Amino acid sequence: MRILRSLTDGIGFDLILIGAAMAFLMAMAGLPLVYNVLMSFQEVDMFSLGSLIRPWAGFDNYRSVVAQPEFWLVMKNTALFVVGSIAGQFTLGFALALFFHQNFPGSATIRGLFLVSWVMPGLVVGAIWSFILAGDYGVLNALLQGVGLISEPVFWKSDPNLSLYAVIIANIWLGLAFNMLLLSVGLAAIPRDIYEAAELDGATAWQRFRTITLPMMRSTIGAVLSLGLIGTLQQFDLFPAITEGGPANTSNVSQYWAWQMSFKLYDFARGATISVMMLVLVLFAAVIYVRSTRGEVRG
Amino acid sequence: MNMVKRPWVWFGFAVFFAAIYLFPLYWMYVTAVKTQSEIFVSPPTFWPNDPDFGVYSYVWTDRNMAPYLWNSVVIASGVTALTVFFGTGCAYVLARYRNAWVDVGLFTILMLQVLPASVMVTPLFVAFNQLGLLNWPRSAVILGAAAKAMPFFVVLTRAAFMSVPRELEEAALVDGNSRLGAFTSIVLPLVRNGVLVCAILTFMSAFGEFIYSKSIIQDPGLQPASVGLQGFLGPNSKDWNAIMAYSAIYVTPILAIFVLLQRRIVSGLTSGALK
Amino acid sequence: MNGAMNQIELTGIEKHYGGYHALKSVNLAIPKGGFVALVGPSGCGKSTLLRTIAGLETITGGAIHIAGQDVTTLPPRLRDIAMVFQSYALYPHMTVAENLTYALRLKGVPKPVARKRAEDIAETIGLTPLLDRYPRALSGGQRQRVAMGRAIIREPKAFLFDEPLSNLDAALRVHMRAEIRKLHNRLGATSVYVTHDQIEAMTMADHVVVMRAGVIEQQGAPLELYDRPANRFVAGFIGSPAMNFIDAVTTDQGVKLALPGEPVIATTTRSQPGRKVLAGLRPEHLAVDPDGALRLPVALVEQTGSTSYLVTDTEPMLTVSANLRRDIHPGDVVGLSIDPARVHLFDPATEARL
Repeated sequence: MRILRSLTDGIGFDLILIGAAMAFLMAMAGLPLVYNVLMSFQEVDMFSLGSLIRPWAGFDNYRSVVAQPEFWLVMKNTALFVVGSIAGQFTLGFALALFFHQNFPGSATIRGLFLVSWVMPGLVVGAIWSFILAGDYGVLNALLQGVGLISEPVFWKSDPNLSLYAVIIANIWLGLAFNMLLLSVGLAAIPRDIYEAAELDGATAWQRFRTITLPMMRSTIGAVLSLGLIGTLQQFDLFPAITEGGPANTSNVSQYWAWQMSFKLYDFARGATISVMMLVLVLFAAVIYVRSTRGEVRG
Repeated sequence: MNMVKRPWVWFGFAVFFAAIYLFPLYWMYVTAVKTQSEIFVSPPTFWPNDPDFGVYSYVWTDRNMAPYLWNSVVIASGVTALTVFFGTGCAYVLARYRNAWVDVGLFTILMLQVLPASVMVTPLFVAFNQLGLLNWPRSAVILGAAAKAMPFFVVLTRAAFMSVPRELEEAALVDGNSRLGAFTSIVLPLVRNGVLVCAILTFMSAFGEFIYSKSIIQDPGLQPASVGLQGFLGPNSKDWNAIMAYSAIYVTPILAIFVLLQRRIVSGLTSGALK
Repeated sequence: MNGAMNQIELTGIEKHYGGYHALKSVNLAIPKGGFVALVGPSGCGKSTLLRTIAGLETITGGAIHIAGQDVTTLPPRLRDIAMVFQSYALYPHMTVAENLTYALRLKGVPKPVARKRAEDIAETIGLTPLLDRYPRALSGGQRQRVAMGRAIIREPKAFLFDEPLSNLDAALRVHMRAEIRKLHNRLGATSVYVTHDQIEAMTMADHVVVMRAGVIEQQGAPLELYDRPANRFVAGFIGSPAMNFIDAVTTDQGVKLALPGEPVIATTTRSQPGRKVLAGLRPEHLAVDPDGALRLPVALVEQTGSTSYLVTDTEPMLTVSANLRRDIHPGDVVGLSIDPARVHLFDPATEARL
């Protein structure tokens, strides 16, 4: 009776709603996460794939992953991919956000158009950029040669020194709009009269940017950068579409490598192991994200 | 900020930037109607000499696109349905209270939001295999992708629920309604638009889902369009007009929805994204 | 307390929010047809108390009876009470008529019957032309009326008002004050009215409850609170402008005020001589009188037209209300007389009335 009444009129109703969602999330995300960690300490092969209790491997999987010849290359690529993507997305996104903050006619609509990149399937974006970046007939080379920046065609996808940058360029294009949108929101939240007060106090445009815009955007910038880190580590679709990690792993990053281990080599234990390593990095980013949005979360 | 002196100059620059940014889209549509030989011309032509729209019907039948797109629709619908079903109530509760438990819930949601799909796919595959779920691969993908999509949906929808004053619900309770009645007759109608926008965003991103489908669905007849596209894509692809035509067919519906609902989508995103 | 006589009866209400003690053993009995005002500074617990009556807050101790029935554990919908919210809480997606009939429709009253009732109610409170409008198309005053109408239409066991007039402008507020009280009388309703405005409480209610920090400091008829405040807090809260408080020492003749000239007032309340007390003097009980016991310099003169307020240049400052316009300027020294019967004495330590 009491329980029934709580369901119709009390907190039981809330508990049902949130409980159902949390149970679903736990089953489909929480448990797999734990299972992933478990597998990274087990020996998994085609015969033991179907059983839960498998031979204990201790840190063998971790040792063997680190011992892979491509391990350090992939780690270096991952770091470069993250730093390069975020740097590009953030600077271009911030510049565009400042530009569209000028509130000229049509600014909101045109800014909205940029977001199409964000709703497009990653595979399609990858396909288009793969074509644009093609070495001998790609339009990017033609444009760069046209303005005289390069004299010889650049083989973005097949040059081992450049292949990673091919994916970074596509990823910058993909993430730029979302960065710009979030930064625009942050800019719009700064009260206009603060700028007017600063102008009356004699601050130049650059001084206003440095002393008002940047400090007041601090939590937004923190959130955007950590979301960028998270989003970049989640980026997967561009790799199978553009370089498939090649040539010779020069554009391979940990998230794609983990997938290759599991689904190309069917080495699920090592796939899980690389995933766990990535997880540490992602959780680090998540903590920064939560810290920088804590004020807003509490409302 | 200074008053803008010549708004049309700014407008011109804005159009210019947008044109550069959206050039890849233009290039997709233009390349699709070029002939095979025109694609490899150097320097490339920016307007097709001899537009050939036949490539669309060729790709549609030759690449067997109808079942691929249908599977994308099935997966996206399933993901959206599950996400809306579980996520809406969750967002409502997280918006309704302010206490330590809600903070724990929000933290959990944020943590799940940051998990890369590439990390989750290995344990999901192995677990689904053990549970026998791989015999229904599309359902398996829907389950996994819904869990992936839900945190973002909850964060965005929660912002919509926060805009409904608590007093409205309390008035309904005093007027004689139960919690469920107040939720469905007062709160839900007021957040309908917000939830709808978030559902559309969920649908659009699930429509492009790739990694779970690629890893879990082996039968080509059940694979979505993203996996179908990847099938003829690679570092040495040559069939570019067909690839671009395939891409165009695939994204045009999404782009159309986006352009139609642009204003709502952007405002829905801005209200929730940073909260 | 007699349960059969009282429409609402609160016994030993306790409310804790985590470690915060919001209501401390609150007892309150409201007779049928009574109009009770809960008044106090923000955060005093008056709104929380109202919400516990509505069932919107669960209590951690005590019991609530409405019309003799124990409703302590009942949800709001089973308590048969109506509430008018500060923000009016009109359902934005429903027309005025739909807002009015919402509760009736929930009870299963047929639509035409409900519509007829809505039209009748609209007639009495002047909403007829607005019935098919949405709340966003109404002015603040009109919204307030709809909120009232939504409460009236149900003929509930009690009306609860949560600062219903605080979003209106001053003129409309005074008008609605009278309007609500007239409605209350006509319906023979039982009302509980929360406000932070003591004038609203004094003018509308026949029983005023002054709260502070989750405790009822004093309750009684409005003039009883004005004439015999139980402690310094109530004395300072009721009455406008607020009462002046002056340190004083009791003597054989009365009390000696700590003001220039150390005047002695022959108060009716006596205590053993030499005791430190706090004397409370309402501005309206000080009169400008050239022969008065006090002679104080004036710092400020505030004119409202009907009344002038003098603020003295003393420590502490005294406010004096003078009904007549007088030719007094800052810097002048005026004589003031005090009605000894109107001096309130409080214990400086416990702040209780002596």
